[in-house]
Formats: sequence, C-alpha cells, structure tokens
Amino acid sequence: MESAALSTFTSPVILFFVLGMLAAAVRSELSIPEPFAKAMSIYLMIAIGLKGGVAVAKSGLGIEMISAMVAGAVLSFAIPFYVSALLRRIGRLDPLNAGAVAAHYGSVSVVTYVTAIEILGAQALPVAGYMVAVLAVMETPAILSGLLLARKGMASDAGSDAGGHARDDLLREVFLNASVVLLIGSFIIGAIAGPDGFADVQPLFDTGFKGVLCLFLLDMGLLAARRLRESRSITWRLALLAVGFPLLNGTLGVLVGAGIGLETGSVAALGVLCASASYIAVPAAMRMALPQADAGIYLAMSLSITFPFNILFGISLITWLARALAGS
Amino acid sequence: MVETVLRKRIEILADSPLVRRVTAAIDAVGITGWTILPVSAGKGREGLWHEEHVTGTDKALVLTVASLDKAAALADALAPILTTHGLLLTMWDVEVIRGNRF
Repeated sequence: MESAALSTFTSPVILFFVLGMLAAAVRSELSIPEPFAKAMSIYLMIAIGLKGGVAVAKSGLGIEMISAMVAGAVLSFAIPFYVSALLRRIGRLDPLNAGAVAAHYGSVSVVTYVTAIEILGAQALPVAGYMVAVLAVMETPAILSGLLLARKGMASDAGSDAGGHARDDLLREVFLNASVVLLIGSFIIGAIAGPDGFADVQPLFDTGFKGVLCLFLLDMGLLAARRLRESRSITWRLALLAVGFPLLNGTLGVLVGAGIGLETGSVAALGVLCASASYIAVPAAMRMALPQADAGIYLAMSLSITFPFNILFGISLITWLARALAGS
Repeated sequence: MVETVLRKRIEILADSPLVRRVTAAIDAVGITGWTILPVSAGKGREGLWHEEHVTGTDKALVLTVASLDKAAALADALAPILTTHGLLLTMWDVEVIRGNRF
C-alpha cells in the first residue's frame, strides 16, 4: 500500500493535476485554451475506446464482459437511490437538488478511469479491455434514476415542461451524448481494426497518451480548484458527503466486481468507476432536464471535491481494497 | 438615402445545452434567422461563470432580429422558462435595411 501510494504521488499525471490545483489556489493566470481542452477530452476518449476495443479483439468476448456490463448498468442505476436519500437526510438538500447530484454520483468520470488505468498499469494490475464498454454503459442509467428521483420529489411541475423539442433534446443528450458516442464508437472501431489495424494509428493514440493526459489533468486541476473557490453553495455536510460517496460507492463496486469473479485489475476499475462522479455528460443533461437544480452544488461536489479526492487518494484506496479482496 | 425600418433586436443568453431550445422557439414563432455568439465569462445571481467546454456549463448568446409582433410572440414563448432555465432576454429597437426580411 505504501509503495503504491508513493508511486501515485510521483506520477507526472498526478503531479500535473496538483500543479493545476495549486496554480488556481494562488490565483495564477495560468489557463488552458478551452477549445484545446475540449480537443484533449475527445482525444482521450477515442484513445481509451480504441485501446479497449483492440484488447477485446485479442481476447474475444466472454461471459465476464457481459456480467461486468450488466453489473455496471445495475450499479449506475441503483447508486443514485441511496445517494439521494443521504443527500436529503445528511446534506439537507431538497429532492430536486438531491436527484440532480445523485445522478452525477451514479454516472462515471472518464478522466478518473483513465488515470486509474495508468496507476493500475504501473502497479502491474492490468485492466480488461472490455471495461471501457462498462464505462460507456455506466454513463446513462444514473441520469434516468436521478431524473426519476428529482421529478418524483418535486412539489410542482414547474420547469419540467418537456415539450416535443425539449424531450427530443434530452433523450439525445442522455443516450447519444458525446462521451457515449465516442467511447462506444471508438471501442467498436478498435474491436474491428484489431491489433494490426491499431498499429497504424498507435503513435498518435498510444505514444502520446500519457503526455496529453498530463496536460488535461493540469487543466482539470485548474478547473476544480477555481470552481471550489467560487462556489457559494457548498456546506460542510455536502463536502463531507462528496468525500464519503466515493468511499462508499467504490467499496460497493469492488465487492460486486470480486463477487462476479473479475480479475483484480478489473475489480479495482469497477470500484473506481462506481467511486467516480460525472462532470462531463451529466451536467449538460441536468441543465436541460432539471434547469432549476443548482449547478453550483453538483459541479462543486463532483468536480471540485470528489474528483480530486479520487485522483489523489480514492484510486489508491480502492486498488488496495481490490487487492485485499480479489488478491493480486 | 437608404430607407430603414424599425425592428426588434433580441438577445438571449443561455446555457449551451439550452441553446437548441431557444432556437427552436425562435423558429416556432416564424422568425427566419438567428446567430449564436460565443461568450467567455460573466457574473450573475448565481455567481461567476466561465467558458467551460469540458463540463458543458458554458453559455452562448443567441441573437435575432424580428418584427414587433414576432418579437412579442417570442418573449411570450420564453417568458415561462426565463427564471427556471436561467435565461436572460433583452430586446431593443433597431433600424434595419431591407425590413421585409425580418
């Protein structure tokens, strides 16, 4: 555990994230141009999708992949229910905001997953390629359960006036958001192309991967710390929950992963997916479906507290738990 | 001198995910054109906001020019969701050439 934690804190990927947070904390003018940050996020999703697809082309489809995908979908749908209950009871949020925040915790963070893959790889814990498909599958169910919870608890129907256009836009955002399309699309491309086809594009999507991840995490560090600094809606109760959720959800993910017989690396990856909170796909869906929900709460919790916690501590803790339960 | 006519210039500031909803409302009242302008940062009742393409919480400005009756119809269509959806709608009189186009 000690050496694993140490290797996490000497990884350039993590150190660039810390640099971004520190730069924002001291109000440095450092910033990454927005179109470049967006391009990097697209690159990372394509790279991880391609690599996952290539790995599946090598190993073939199996019962493990199906059970992991089913487990991921069920966890993503189920997690928001108890998260919402805790947010209402301990966080003292109204049903609308509790539902919106819960959707973020049931869904996943691609960047947390990518960082975990790098850390697990460095610890000789390979993650099965199909976990990328699990990642994509886990993006959406939580949005549906979050919306169910929020709308069920809303006293009035104000703002849920989903007319034809609004409903179409929401469905498109939920099922065809950019993350899902890129991850599934590049996963299929990787599976079709296989190792031979991937060799042609490997210099771009493999060799440069870690460098781009460093740059992207620098930007995410800046973003996370700036948002936290400017947040006016976060109470100490919500901050506590934003640290507690990844521990609780991550433990659940590890238990389920070990229970369905995944390899240790994949058990840890499922734990990390459950521990992570979305800040790419879900906020956009929430702005459309629940515009009255306070974006200052769900983004500050998922992006400014849970994401840094997972990058700095959560991934190492979940990896340790996965080793303890599934063996190394 | 070129003849000009009076029309309404309407600006709507909206979160990027809601822009399609706004343009659909513009189309629905029969206004033929609109333009989407990027905006970089600002401050409102909920505090500071920045251009954040990654989280999708950035905003955009939808600009359109319309006749008085169509502008009023658009304001009526968007009024119920201005507060709930955090939109900012402003309009003012402008003189345009080729008034038949608006």
